[in-house]
Amino acid sequence: MGSEALAEIRNVSLWKGKSRILDDVSFSIAPGRFQALLGPNGAGKSSLMRILYRAEKPSSGAVHFEGRTQRDWPRRAYAARVGALVQEAVNLSGLSLRNVVGLGLLPLSLSRGEADERCMDALETVGLAARAGEDAGYLSGGEQQRLFFAQLLALDPEIYLLDEPHNHLDLHYQYVLLEAVRARGKTVLASFHDLTLATRFCDRAVLLDHGRLAAEGPLHDVLTPERMAEVYRVDARFDDGVVRITGAL
Amino acid sequence: MTMRYGALLGGSLVALALAMLAGAFWGTAELPWDERLKALILAPDAQRNLVLIIWEWRLPRVFMVALVGGALALSGVVMQALLRNPLADPYLLGLSSGASAGATAGIVWLPAAFVASVGLPLLAFAGAMAAFLITLGLSFSPGRDLDKLVVILAGVAVSLFFTSMSAFFLHLADPHVTREALSFLMGSAARARWGDLNPLLVALPIACVIVFFLSPMLDAVLLGDERAVALGTPLGALRLGLFSLAALLTGLSVAGAGIVGFVGLIVPHMARLLVGAPHRRLVPLAVVLGMIVMVVVDLLCRTLLAPEELPLSVLLALFAAPPFVYVLRRARRGL
Repeated sequence: MGSEALAEIRNVSLWKGKSRILDDVSFSIAPGRFQALLGPNGAGKSSLMRILYRAEKPSSGAVHFEGRTQRDWPRRAYAARVGALVQEAVNLSGLSLRNVVGLGLLPLSLSRGEADERCMDALETVGLAARAGEDAGYLSGGEQQRLFFAQLLALDPEIYLLDEPHNHLDLHYQYVLLEAVRARGKTVLASFHDLTLATRFCDRAVLLDHGRLAAEGPLHDVLTPERMAEVYRVDARFDDGVVRITGAL
Repeated sequence: MTMRYGALLGGSLVALALAMLAGAFWGTAELPWDERLKALILAPDAQRNLVLIIWEWRLPRVFMVALVGGALALSGVVMQALLRNPLADPYLLGLSSGASAGATAGIVWLPAAFVASVGLPLLAFAGAMAAFLITLGLSFSPGRDLDKLVVILAGVAVSLFFTSMSAFFLHLADPHVTREALSFLMGSAARARWGDLNPLLVALPIACVIVFFLSPMLDAVLLGDERAVALGTPLGALRLGLFSLAALLTGLSVAGAGIVGFVGLIVPHMARLLVGAPHRRLVPLAVVLGMIVMVVVDLLCRTLLAPEELPLSVLLALFAAPPFVYVLRRARRGL
């Protein structure tokens, strides 16, 4: 692992009862990279994300961020630098869109003016600025996902952890929002099921299978036809930066 | 603070002051108005018995129900936020059944003179806190954050246990001694004196300040456990600390005015309808509204069937039913 890594996942394992969810996973996240976290259902992507944003503690192993172990970071300082778009259905009734985005700034100490400016810029980016004062309880699933994107963009952390960011989004916003994240020039680790989207935005990939690290490296090296057959059980190949899937195996 | 919110909170405080004045003026005794006023302002020519009625009987009672209303409303706000459950209330952690069991046990096993003086509230408080500690003990696993579903299930189990204990104690009791326990447990502040106010007078303002300063974290919990943690909220410690605070306030309320249902459930929703969910605005308004509701309901309980008094829970249940159905319908719609 290079010394320039922003974050390092070292020998991380996670057990839930008698099930092993993650098994000795190690890889590093280089600064400024847009890295994909890939794998089929149950591969351990969301669990790894949860460990990275501290909703879960690994059973063994450790996460290092900027040279310090995760537990050595004060919660607030860590949250200011490692931001997450998480998968969790929630009822936002009683909170305005502006309230929700503003809560994303909780780890920071900003003046009222600066917070307002960040919130409105972020809401503008996700196309919800005109509805800033409305009750967020009435948003559709896709609009709610855009709102949480705005929350993360307002925080603008060093690492963006995106757990299935395309969930509920229409095609337009899938591209617009991932492009907005890329434009920030920060480090990104995003889990995807849509390999076309992953190839469009990511230069590197981490492939998990049954909780183990199956491969890590440049996207075209990770997504070989053999691995896609073994891990995803599809007949596919990676040509000219595009994954072409011909069928399930 | 926006103009609208300032006006709303200011108006509520004025309404509270008026309700408390009404609570001091009206009661079961039919008295001339000018005499009531003289007694209230402690005029030199005021009738001594009226001064006694207003200053030693009515005012402590009015202050007690106000404090209980504020404490239960604050507990309700905290419980509903921490559990993200619109139907959560301060008694969810087994507190009311613990209080019932404590009071009933006292009546059955302890001397009547002790129970009739300070024993009943004390035993109810002890029962409520015992139930809370057992609920917490059942919910806690070393090295893991407090899980809200486990807390609710543990609270239900503890409630069932203490309810069956109460039934067992009542079964053993002499029918004549159960009346006082039942009247206390249905809610009444009739026996409140100035000295009884002290615990809530200290605890409620401190609790309000704590919850007010933790408001941004409670707001973050509304976004979901995962997001709250990702935003740096120490969720386990927050739940443990604020559940304990809510249990303490509820236990002190039970000790002060018996088991008063629905205030902690409905008042937070009333406040939320007026100012939305952000807790910086919700907490002060909910506390003041809780006080108003309790003072008004207590006044009605004293006067509607005077000289007979209705238990607080009877009228509260009657008034709470329509808003409760409304909240239930909103919860079913996922709003």
